[in-house]
Amino acid sequence: MSHPKTPHVVDARYMEPPGPFVATMEMLDTLKEGEKMLLLLFREPHPLYKVLRQNGHDYETELKPDGTFEILISR
Amino acid sequence: MQALLSFENAPPFAAPLRFFLTAPLFAILAGLLLAWNGPPLMASRWMPGALAATHLVTVGFMLQVMLGALIQILPVVAGANLRHPLRVARIVHVGLSAGGVLLAAGFLIDPPGMLGFAALLLGGTLLYFLAVCVQALVGVPSTSPTIRGLKLALIGLAAVVGLGMLMAFALTYGWSVPLSALADLHAGWGLGGWAGVLLVAMAYVVVPMFQLTPGYPARPSWWFPVAMLLLLLLWSGGVLGNLDGLVRLSQGLAAIAGIAFCVVTLRLQGQRRRARADATYRYWQLGLVASVFALLMLLISSLWPAASELEGWTIGFGILIVAGGFMPFITGMLYKISAFLSWLHLQNFGQAKIPAPAMNKILSDTDCQRQMVAYVVALALLLAAVIVPDWLARPAGLAFALANAWLFWNLAGAVRRYRRAQAEMAEKLAAL
Repeated sequence: MSHPKTPHVVDARYMEPPGPFVATMEMLDTLKEGEKMLLLLFREPHPLYKVLRQNGHDYETELKPDGTFEILISR
Repeated sequence: MQALLSFENAPPFAAPLRFFLTAPLFAILAGLLLAWNGPPLMASRWMPGALAATHLVTVGFMLQVMLGALIQILPVVAGANLRHPLRVARIVHVGLSAGGVLLAAGFLIDPPGMLGFAALLLGGTLLYFLAVCVQALVGVPSTSPTIRGLKLALIGLAAVVGLGMLMAFALTYGWSVPLSALADLHAGWGLGGWAGVLLVAMAYVVVPMFQLTPGYPARPSWWFPVAMLLLLLLWSGGVLGNLDGLVRLSQGLAAIAGIAFCVVTLRLQGQRRRARADATYRYWQLGLVASVFALLMLLISSLWPAASELEGWTIGFGILIVAGGFMPFITGMLYKISAFLSWLHLQNFGQAKIPAPAMNKILSDTDCQRQMVAYVVALALLLAAVIVPDWLARPAGLAFALANAWLFWNLAGAVRRYRRAQAEMAEKLAAL
């Protein structure tokens, strides 16, 4: 799945936990320096945010009208 | 499920567990009170037994689970960490449990000063809880409808506690206040402003996550908690200004907002991608359907006030919204959270060397669904007892007590299996 913001997308909206967390960490490992990935979820993943901050990743979150949180994460 | 509740954010299991195991005991007491008191308890909401039973359920069951779950879940849904969660849990649990028992006793046997003392104890405990939550939430931006809802629900909690204390002191010291209008407002803030807004804020997260449904549409999600609080402020203004029309208008609009939330949730559930209907899902369906009927009653009485004078109307409404709506929502979540937390703590205990048993092995869904059948029977009996109290009030009370005893048995069983699994894992770890 691709997206205007980045071709690296994890659509975790219908995944059961811990699927979103695992898929995000796996995709982050495949990214090169400076690349970004997008995580789609129906909630804000605060525990994941904490892990991202601890590992030095930046992220921006946008809530879309259908209730999807688009979380753009930098490698 | 680390993404749901990452372990380093999780308070010790003992923090929420004490609330979860105590809550069904209060519901059992409420059922036994009805079985003992019988038909007179259902004659009017002003009967001492009715007031005691109502608060055994709302303070002893509902508030107990809600506060325990909040201590657990604030870091997860809001990124807000409580300082010393176990200490907070101990203090709040003792204050809430003792306060709940004393409040019910104050209504029931009315020893001098007990109602005022219970109100002071509960008020102090909840003020402490509110202060701890505010401290955790200061500086947390409202980046999602859930966080906004959580913050506004705490305002609702402050309002319901303040009104409750005012009425308890008015009864104790004989102050002249409009008790009937204040009791309605107290219930409105408690069920709408606190429990309702908190439930909705949590539903935004847990319904899509646990039932694999689409998300709630963003714009109404932002506005629902604000609208509900504004309507309750209008209602309060109506009571202060003695404006009956304003009170009825705000009640009717609040009912419509609540029905809209239930209908949206039922539609989302209809689009779920999880084929199997587990106990949590079924309990939520029961809660949503019963809430729609209860809120329709509220809407009707706001348009046609004489309806609330009909025999059994107010008691029927109370049973439908509390025992039919909120208790099923809470019980459904209680099962999910208890099983999940057991698994999470065992998973951590295994240090990635020994896997934790599956959640269904700790708390079987079949057991939960069987208990739910008993609860549905109890609810049906309670509703039928509104019409024929002489025949059914006592059996309904007994059935309600039994269904909640079964809930306690299921939860206590999960804790037993958790402890056994932990002991077995410790042996295996030592042998490595």
